[in-house]
Amino acid sequence: MKKFIKNISLTLPMLVIGTALFAQQPEQIMKASGSPANPKVPMSWNRYYDYAAITEVCKKLAKAYPDLVKVESMGKSFMGKEMWVMTISDFKTGDPSKKPAMYIDGNIHSNEIQGSEFALYTAWYLAESFADTRHIQELLADKTFYIAPTINPDARDNFIHAANNANSPRSGMIPVDNDRDGAINEDGYDDLDGDGHIVFMRRKNPNGRFKADQDDPRRMISVGVDQQGEYELLGYEGIDNDGDGDVNEDGEGFYDPNRDWAWNWQPNYVQSGAYKYPFSLPENRSIADFVMKHPNIAGGQSYHNNGGMILRGPGALEDLDTYNSQDVQVYDALGKKGEELIPGYKYLVVYKDLYSVFGGELDWFYGGRGIYTFSNELWTNFLMYNKAGDANSQASQYNFDRDLLFNDAFVNWKAFKHPQYGDIEIGGFKKSFGRLHPGFLLESDAHRNMSFTLYHAYHTPKLSVEEISEKDLGGGLKEITAVIANKRLMPTHSSQDLKYKIEVPDMISLTGPKVIAGMIVNNRDLNITTEQKNDAQNIRVPNIPGNSTVTVRWIVQNAGKYSVKVDSKKGGIVSRSN
Amino acid sequence: MNNISKTIVLIMGIFLFCGETNAQDYSNYAQISQRINALSKSYPALVRAKSLTKTFGGKDIWMLTIGSGQTDQKPAIAVFGGVEGSHLLGTELALGFAEKLLNASSQDSIKALLANNTFYVFPNMSPDATEQYFSQSRYARSSNARPTDDDRDGKINEDPFEDLNKDGKISWVRVEDATGKYKSNPEDPRSMILADPNKGETGKYLLLSEGLDNDKDGNFNEDGEGGVHFNKNMSYAYPNFIPGSGEHMVSENENRALLDKLFELFNIHSVITFGPYNNLSAPVIFNAPAVAKRVISGYYEADAKTNAQVSELYNKITGLKDAPKSSPTGGDFAQWAYYHYGRNSFSTPGWWVPKAKVDTARKEKDLKIEDQVSNYLRWAKSEKIEGSFVEWQKIDHPDFPGKNVELGGIDPFVLLNPPYKLVEGLVKKHYEFILELSKKLPSVDLINIKKEKLGDGLTRVTATIINNGSMATQTKVGERSYWVKKISVKLIPSANQSIISGRKNQVIDAIEGKGNITLTWLIKGSGKLSIDAGSPTSGSKSIELAL
Repeated sequence: MKKFIKNISLTLPMLVIGTALFAQQPEQIMKASGSPANPKVPMSWNRYYDYAAITEVCKKLAKAYPDLVKVESMGKSFMGKEMWVMTISDFKTGDPSKKPAMYIDGNIHSNEIQGSEFALYTAWYLAESFADTRHIQELLADKTFYIAPTINPDARDNFIHAANNANSPRSGMIPVDNDRDGAINEDGYDDLDGDGHIVFMRRKNPNGRFKADQDDPRRMISVGVDQQGEYELLGYEGIDNDGDGDVNEDGEGFYDPNRDWAWNWQPNYVQSGAYKYPFSLPENRSIADFVMKHPNIAGGQSYHNNGGMILRGPGALEDLDTYNSQDVQVYDALGKKGEELIPGYKYLVVYKDLYSVFGGELDWFYGGRGIYTFSNELWTNFLMYNKAGDANSQASQYNFDRDLLFNDAFVNWKAFKHPQYGDIEIGGFKKSFGRLHPGFLLESDAHRNMSFTLYHAYHTPKLSVEEISEKDLGGGLKEITAVIANKRLMPTHSSQDLKYKIEVPDMISLTGPKVIAGMIVNNRDLNITTEQKNDAQNIRVPNIPGNSTVTVRWIVQNAGKYSVKVDSKKGGIVSRSN
Repeated sequence: MNNISKTIVLIMGIFLFCGETNAQDYSNYAQISQRINALSKSYPALVRAKSLTKTFGGKDIWMLTIGSGQTDQKPAIAVFGGVEGSHLLGTELALGFAEKLLNASSQDSIKALLANNTFYVFPNMSPDATEQYFSQSRYARSSNARPTDDDRDGKINEDPFEDLNKDGKISWVRVEDATGKYKSNPEDPRSMILADPNKGETGKYLLLSEGLDNDKDGNFNEDGEGGVHFNKNMSYAYPNFIPGSGEHMVSENENRALLDKLFELFNIHSVITFGPYNNLSAPVIFNAPAVAKRVISGYYEADAKTNAQVSELYNKITGLKDAPKSSPTGGDFAQWAYYHYGRNSFSTPGWWVPKAKVDTARKEKDLKIEDQVSNYLRWAKSEKIEGSFVEWQKIDHPDFPGKNVELGGIDPFVLLNPPYKLVEGLVKKHYEFILELSKKLPSVDLINIKKEKLGDGLTRVTATIINNGSMATQTKVGERSYWVKKISVKLIPSANQSIISGRKNQVIDAIEGKGNITLTWLIKGSGKLSIDAGSPTSGSKSIELAL
């Protein structure tokens, strides 16, 4: 058996080389609209990649596109894996750390793996489309993308390579004593039949409350209160390993990496899943440090599954005041566009439409850094038949598996002798189904979600010095007025940012003439101004609002040649000379 | 140079070792490190010193583990000093406790104490800040050495204090100005107090700290050296984006390293903080609605009761009276220890300026205006403490040309830290308090073991788990926290026995002070059987019986 596997792995690389040799030549291909036709890094977007594969793809992209893609590590995971992040921008048009940026990550919950493929697809698409797609060229000239495909690499590999169900592990791999008995991870799931899947256990029982569905006998349905059943359900595959009367109560985890962020963080007795203190998980800590070192990040996106949701904060009712109406307007505009771009997805607010969460990633990004951030819950049953509100969606899952996946998603019930339950049967959906996209739907949904993030990135601030005008005041004094425009939806500082002065003010500088006085012009027509007495050459404005302008003015001696420069952490650097 | 400094350190070490009680002033970082080294050398079997991390300023955060045997298996008290950098007394009380305890370790009672319990002592959580006391420009500092943009204007440390009169300390500047909100206290004109417009009072002075407005933003000394305050950086009631709180909760090396360590120490039952907050002179009052919320903001009733008992003990032993009202500040350590660590948390500044007595010989009258400076000045005079006030003197201040500007006022540190001659007495009182508190720690025992033969090899085994301590085995809030272990009870049968009823392994909730719980099992078979019960905060007990 082992020898056989070795043989296969020997042949595989040869096969790959073979494919490369016989790959279709560019002249044999007609480009399908909107997709890279001859990528330098060939990818299949109908399967899932483990950490090693993701690492390889990141490195290949950086190698193939040195002027567009750079890969670095944000830090190490608990088990020592590098946390890769790609910087994607047109490096020839300026320092990527000075351009307004969009941060994207996936897989914070280890079982929610497709976020990594979605993020990776985005990186790949940007790089591979740059050559022939004008919109992407313009986008990468103006913006930077920071893309971290997996921010939970340890447990991603556990989910992929170990026996698991669709929900396990959600955590990272730091061992925790879940049942507080002093022993750690002593009673996790057990792959009883050794088939690599953790599925359900059922037992024949005339007093059970379940029976097989007539339409699809694989499916267990509950019987009516006035009916007799034939089965009882005994939960996921496992035994009571530690003899405390509970089954599977202390396995991998459980802590939740998305309850570890330092905005309104609460301890585990308030917020289940919280670890020791905010950023006590090394993975999140590295991301937070990365984000603070990159104040140009203006937009954020994290990928979860599932349910077809485009979520914004607040995560908890107690945090409602954090999100004020100006910022909600920006969120609404982006979120509604998202609903249009991704059919089946709804734009929702975490605390009222989902459930209350303290210490979530999106709340820290917004509350703690002032970054407009969404969390998308990828995959929805809508995508099975492109139909909303299927009342019996569990039945549809069985139909979908049968008719479109040809029963590949299900482990058929089979008998097993359980040491504690006796004669039982084991069966159920595999971990790859229910929360993850089936292969043939993966690329399409990745593309739609990506287009939402590109729209988000497009609407990070775009500044320009729109006008410079001069007026002679007599006596050698001149008045120079500059109008700075922001041509996109997002302001340079969200209201949350302004409230706490999270990011420094935007600075509008005049270089050249001797500056006597400087001021912000509140109303140009009526000449209402606010003077900045100190350091008048560098006017500091708290914000440059979205699709709006800011006007500043200097009184100078001997105007001559001069230039006006705007330096905004989230708006970039622009300048213009007279 | 290196050799010379080594020699100095050596000499200082010798000096300290001999003259520990002859010290004339608070210890600086090097002296604290020396005192810790001296303890490790003198009592290698009872104390281990470990540096948890280095601060941004490169200083060690010391942790002392005091006890014998398996120290992490015994109910423990953790003692903290220096949570607020300007509170030098806290470090003296914490380290002084360790010194007194170890110096007494040859006594039988202390030997027994160290065999049953463990003490963790963290003398100074803010070593970057406390060093300011010993510098050439002394001011009450709580921030570590991380450069921060305190006024969030994009410039770092651009507006520090300046010692304008070069007297080695940062005092106050008062400027005669019609917009000023301050006036002289009529009961002691040296002290500046806020004028109350509601009472028809008019302010006459601007009151500023000693220095210049370097960045000309209208604020004085608002962005000086440092930093993040240890006591503003914790996760409970964290104040977002205020000077000293850091960029986010638990952002600093010292905070993180400490928490990483504390979350490993499941045996810590109670935490004592020597810091500004005081729940020992007057305990926390139980407030039902505050615990009915999802995010609780008050103590559970049982925990408030424990606090009240311990407060009574504190007042009895220390005899300290007239403590000023105190409320915690948010992001602080003492509240964290209860709300987020789930342990009993007791906190005291250890000293405050006593209420000054009226000197009738001088025809003094009672001070009617609440003003801690005038009270301090009167008390200091009665104690013959000199040199803690700078008389107001005219200066030229470049930011106020042509104005009447005077420099003077009360010294930094003196309102929070007593004259050093009082420290020894305070250390003794607090040492005695902690010893008494340790006698209240929970201690689990297994008693009233019964074997009832039910026939045919079936036996009913009954055991009572009793807590001999007068404090509960864990707090009520700890009962809810994942990071506090419950009491685990294990019944270990021998090979030819089977458990017919009752659990082989189980965990049980807190047992209150002097409380107990009884468990039974049905066992089939004969031979030896053992029962283990215990938790890290309450100790453990194991018994063996034969069926």
